[in-house]
Amino acid sequence: MNLNDFIIMRHELLLTTVIIILLIAEVFSIFEKGEKSISEFSFGIEMFAILLFLIITLVGFVPSGRGMLFGGMYQTDEIRILMKNILNIGTLIILFQSVSYLRKNENKEKSTEFILLLFSTLLGMNFMVSSGDFLMFYLGLELATLPLAALAAFDKFKNKFSEAGIKFILLAALSSGVTLYGISMIYGTNGSIYFSDVSLTFSDEGLQILAFIFFISGLAFKISLVPFHFWAADVYEGAPVNITSYLSVISKGAAVFIFIILLYHVFPVISKEWTYLLYALSILTMTIGNLFAIRQQNLKRFLAFSSIAQAGFILLGVIGEPQLGLASVIYFVLIYVFSNLGAFGVVSAISNFSGKENMNDYNGLYQTNPKLSLVLMLSLFSLAGIPPVAGFFGKFFLFTAAAQKGFYGLVIIATLNATISLYYYLLVIKAMFINKNEQPVEYFRNDFFTRTGLLICVLGMIIIGFASFIFDGIFSMS
Amino acid sequence: MNQVVFYFLSAVILVFSLLTVTSSRILRAAVYLLFVLIATAGIYFLLGYNFLAGVQLTLYAGGIIVLIIFAIMLTGSAGEKLERPSLNKFLLAILISLIGTVTSLILFFAYHSFPVIGNEIPATVKMVGASLINPGDNGYVLPFELISVLLLAAIVGAIVIAKKATR
Repeated sequence: MNLNDFIIMRHELLLTTVIIILLIAEVFSIFEKGEKSISEFSFGIEMFAILLFLIITLVGFVPSGRGMLFGGMYQTDEIRILMKNILNIGTLIILFQSVSYLRKNENKEKSTEFILLLFSTLLGMNFMVSSGDFLMFYLGLELATLPLAALAAFDKFKNKFSEAGIKFILLAALSSGVTLYGISMIYGTNGSIYFSDVSLTFSDEGLQILAFIFFISGLAFKISLVPFHFWAADVYEGAPVNITSYLSVISKGAAVFIFIILLYHVFPVISKEWTYLLYALSILTMTIGNLFAIRQQNLKRFLAFSSIAQAGFILLGVIGEPQLGLASVIYFVLIYVFSNLGAFGVVSAISNFSGKENMNDYNGLYQTNPKLSLVLMLSLFSLAGIPPVAGFFGKFFLFTAAAQKGFYGLVIIATLNATISLYYYLLVIKAMFINKNEQPVEYFRNDFFTRTGLLICVLGMIIIGFASFIFDGIFSMS
Repeated sequence: MNQVVFYFLSAVILVFSLLTVTSSRILRAAVYLLFVLIATAGIYFLLGYNFLAGVQLTLYAGGIIVLIIFAIMLTGSAGEKLERPSLNKFLLAILISLIGTVTSLILFFAYHSFPVIGNEIPATVKMVGASLINPGDNGYVLPFELISVLLLAAIVGAIVIAKKATR
């Protein structure tokens, strides 16, 4: 390996280094006995981890060309580096939002493990996005999934949390088993596991299509498309809020990225077949996600179903006109990171402070916590796609990509669904601003990190909406 | 001769797989699974994949079955009989697996261009080891290293789950 190879692999190498440093630091923590020192130590480690991760995020933006390592098992180019940077930014915001959760008494001792597991899953996603063959893809998928089960069950002494963990790991194991079966059929019919070889020999015969369907079910599970969405609501409700937001934004974003790369580069031969397939899945996902979201009272469940519906919108870009489709999907995920993390950040802050998660508890929130209400309002507007915030442009480009391929029917259904989603997003806003409440959540002040995280989200939502060069840049890369 | 052995092993796999999923005693199911895994190793031997067969025997038949039996013993449900599933569920399961099997079989037989990769390079243990640390074409050093990170993360995750409550 020469220096250039290190620069190409910098996301993964740096993250691995940080994981090892944190692991060693945690080993030394056993020498520090006593209540106060553990608390100081864990706070120190959190600061240290955030600092190191900030460096990784910044180094990620150093420009570097395309490249291939390890005989084609690892591939990278501008667009994959952009994808990893988006994932890094999202994880950084989640780290900021997790500090107050990790400061709680019952979590202090486990804060290093939390960060270690979080970084391991991110490493898995990075490798998944950069994979050049099915083996690396599968290992990345597993590394991105297994530690998340432990994170979902992080507060294991509450029943709901262990339920979330066990549900997640059982369903993840099932879907990754089906994916593995699909991969073995792809290997059997093509004689190779390298993406570059498979893309040459893949054909539209029945067995290959069956293999493809098995294969994508694992990714559909991670994106929570509709026939595979049953885990989402329960796990989202049971897991700690930070992990819920991680699942719904970063994990989903990474899966969408590799999904679109695979469709365009490995399975272009059967594009007609997967277009029909995703057309149907898109309508189902949007509609069912929306219909269930209307009925939810718990804010975490509510956001879970809304994020299922958002996944349906993403598919519009995936089956759209290729170049615009790829650009609009990446752009949408970038905006989705900021808007969804903004919404989850507010829910997490309120849940950490008061333990309240129901929509009724948000009645009259504007009277006591005007700033938080405004952030939540902006995020929900962005998720719904209301013009001044970035979410509008994200949806607009997705719809354009689908319309350019001539899927007018799908675009009309998507527009109807966007209108339905506006209704339930406004329900929350109505609760905060209009509904009266005798005992609203009291005023509280967030710590520095939560505020920084929310500020980044708000800035992201506003700036990305107005700075047109961002979309142009992504478009020219894809 | 080879064919006779192949059909014998296949029959063993089929029969014991069925017994595994239909047995109502969980410990017996684990033992039936052991026979399935051993017979699979036999098929690998038949194909000349000695290393793969060895791995199958030590890892699956040796390690995983022992783990499963440990788990059954530790949870103390070894002697219990499982409840019979209701008739509806039973029929539904049969229907779904039949649909799956028939679809797969039709597609398998309709497909006629399986690429055959000859056995011209004997897969010796030495070659398997060499390709595991080979960073070039057809080398597997990157997945090999990634698996170590995966195991590390799994261990950390297990510790998080198993850690005692704070004082």
